[in-house]
This record gives sequence, C-alpha cells and structure tokens, in this order.
Amino acid sequence: MSDRAQTPEGGTPIVGDDPVYLNDPIQDATVRMLLELAAQVWVERERRLTLEALLESKGIVARDEIERHIPDAVLAARLKDERARFIEDIFKELRRVSLNR
Amino acid sequence: MSTTPETLPPLARRSDAAYLDFVEGLREFILGKGADFEERLNGALERTASSRGRPWGDVEEIREFVHALPLGRLRDRLARSQQEMKWHAIERSFGEQRAQLTAELAKWDERGPGRLLLDPAFVHPAYTNVHFHLQPGGYYKDELSGFLYHYGTKVFFRGDNDKDELHAKLVGTVPTPSDGKVNRILDLACSIGQSSTAFHRRYPEADVWGIDHSAPMLRVAHRRAAMQGDAVNFAQRLVEKTGFPDAHFDITFAFILFHELPPRIIDETVREAARVTRRGGIFAIYDFTGTEGKSPYQRYHRWFDARHNGEPYSQDFCDCRLGDILAANGFEVAAAPLAKRAGGTGYMQHWFATRV
Repeated sequence: MSDRAQTPEGGTPIVGDDPVYLNDPIQDATVRMLLELAAQVWVERERRLTLEALLESKGIVARDEIERHIPDAVLAARLKDERARFIEDIFKELRRVSLNR
Repeated sequence: MSTTPETLPPLARRSDAAYLDFVEGLREFILGKGADFEERLNGALERTASSRGRPWGDVEEIREFVHALPLGRLRDRLARSQQEMKWHAIERSFGEQRAQLTAELAKWDERGPGRLLLDPAFVHPAYTNVHFHLQPGGYYKDELSGFLYHYGTKVFFRGDNDKDELHAKLVGTVPTPSDGKVNRILDLACSIGQSSTAFHRRYPEADVWGIDHSAPMLRVAHRRAAMQGDAVNFAQRLVEKTGFPDAHFDITFAFILFHELPPRIIDETVREAARVTRRGGIFAIYDFTGTEGKSPYQRYHRWFDARHNGEPYSQDFCDCRLGDILAANGFEVAAAPLAKRAGGTGYMQHWFATRV
C-alpha cells in the first residue's frame, strides 16, 4: 500500500501494517493465503461458468472440446503470465512474515 | 436519469469484479450469521460475567478475554484480511487504469450543471491524515481516492447502496424545518456527494453545497452529479471552517462524519454548524451510537474497528455525548429512538437538531 504514514490527533493508536492475530505469524500468513486461494477459486469458477454458458448458448464449443484442447504458443505464454499472477496473488503473503517476530 | 453503477468506472477486468464479489460475500459471512462470531463471542462474554458475578469493566478487560480465545483471534484475522483484500484489489484494478481515470476526472471538472471549487492552496490539517477503513492513501493522497472510496463502499454496503438507496433513504428521514423554508442545504464532509445529490432530488429548488477536505473525493462527487444532471455545488473546505455566511443554511447534514473527527474538531464543527444554520433550521446527523447500552462484544468490536480498521477517533466519539454538545451550542435535539440489536443497541443513530 502507498504511503502508510499517518498523523492522527490522539484517539486510539492505530495498529501497524501487518498485525499478528494468531499464535505466530506463520498461522496468520496461512489464513491469508487460504482466503486468497478461496477468492481465486471463485474468480476462476465464475469465469468458467460464464464462458461455458456463453459458448454453449451460441453453439460454438461443446464442453468436451474444452477438455481436449491443447494451447498454442501464444496461449501457452499467456497462461504462463496468468499463472505467475495467480501465484503472486496467493503467496505474496509470505513477504509479510516478519523476520523479527 | 443515470444511476450510481454507471458513475462508478468499471474495473480493469472481469476477474477483479469477481474477486471483489467474493470479498463482499466473505465480509457478509464473517460479520453476519454465517460465521456467527458475534453471538458466540458475546455469549461467552456474558456467561463469564454472569458466572463471576460482575459485569465487564473497561474494554481492555474485554479485549484480554477475547484475545485469549482462538475464536476471537481468528475472527480478528478474518475481519482484517477481508478489508485488506478489498483495498488491494480495488487499488490494483483502478491503478492499472490511472491515466484513463485521471483524464476522465479532468473531462468533467469544468462541466455543469453544478460547480466544483477546489482550493490549490488548501492545507490538510494533520488530523485528516488517517487511512480510514485502511483505504490506501486515506481520503486525499491518491488522485483516485474518490473512485477507490466509491468501490470500497459498494463492497461495504454489500449491494444495498448501488443506486444510492441508503443515502436517499437517510436524506428522506431528515425533517423539513417547521416553517417549510428550504432554500439552501449544506452537506458536511460530503465525500463523493451521494447525500448531496439526494438532497437536490428531494428539494430541487434548493441551492445544495457539498464540502469536503479531499479534492479527489470532490472531483468524483462533481463528476457523479454532473453525469446525472444534478445541479449541486462542491467546494474544498473544512467542516470546522466552512467559509459560508452566518445563518446561511436551512438544513445542515453530516453523514457518518463525527466519528472520524477528534474531540476538539467535533466541538469546532458543531459550533460552525450552529453558526451557518439559521434559526429554525435543522442540523441532521447520522453516526455511531454511544458506548452506553452496548453489549460486551459490541464494545470489543468498536475497539477493534478503532485500532485495526483505521478509526482512531471513533472510541472518543462513542464516549462523548453528542446531544449535550449540540445543546450547548444552541440546538434543540429531538430524542431519537435507538434501534435494538441482539445483546445491545444498534450501531447507528440519527440526531435531528433544530437551531434555536
């Protein structure tokens, strides 16, 4: 997140960027990754259901064609990029585990 | 007439919308009956108070109890994470469209029917430099803060305010001054102007002004109003120093403002509202309920919200007596019934104050 510096005037002290709630930071990171994974699963499921419904309604692709499809080089490269983003989304939490706690 | 979803720019990709749809559902599950944290933790708190024969003392005592429970710690982890996930997704998705969105704001800055008055020399008081609700950059440090806020609140309201329904409903509850005269309306800390436009629609002949310290919020407010054809004026001003003449407004409104102000500014803002609201005019407020009457869990939740969700001033606000402050500054406050909630009072309350 950008520019975390804050200057509240008194009141309740605001906790820092990566508070630890569970017994140790690894547990917190594990829960964060689980939530992220669940979000990504939903994103993929929503996409697939939408796509399959569209394809079938237009009579373009049958479901077994999707199962048998082999990506060409362009699609393969795109999938690789998407995979990197997927891994980053879920496992970025590992960077937030402090060395000092 | 256009509706709110059309004024909210689309996210960069469908998967971003699906991700935030998931966060919305997760939020509902965690904070609602799905996980049922409130009932279970409050039950544990009340049983413990009963068995030891004395009520809970200060919130620190409640916090120690909740944090000793694995369920309490997990609840906090999940509550924090859903908020972080929301902002991460919104910031990234709008950030990828920064150039287009910035150009979009600029396109509308000079268009009517209402006016947008920004102050290039504006200095933000230190107390405003808070990342409320963990919004990245807070309310004013990112030129896209208004768009971030708009999408953030869309998720927060879980689809119930996509067409400003909540704002229209709240504005609809504000009593008209007894003499029926409503020529000028002031919306304090208007953010993206949802209440301001609702007031314009309720009183189309009135001159409606929305003020806020955040230029990015005001630019989105102006764009939304202009896109929808609502003649509302927006100006970059402080709620405690509005710059309007004495007794200028028939209705002054503050929607979830006061819990985001330190006590000193609460006093100054009420004093300013008393100055700019004419005798017989209405000062309508919608904000957090006080600590009194809260269940032990609700007191804990308020503390958590303050410390872990960027609400440093909310505890002090909940402990102050806003009705007394209003009365001390020349307002007569109508008694507002408090909504009930399991184990305590509701979280929100109206104050309808008449300037005497």
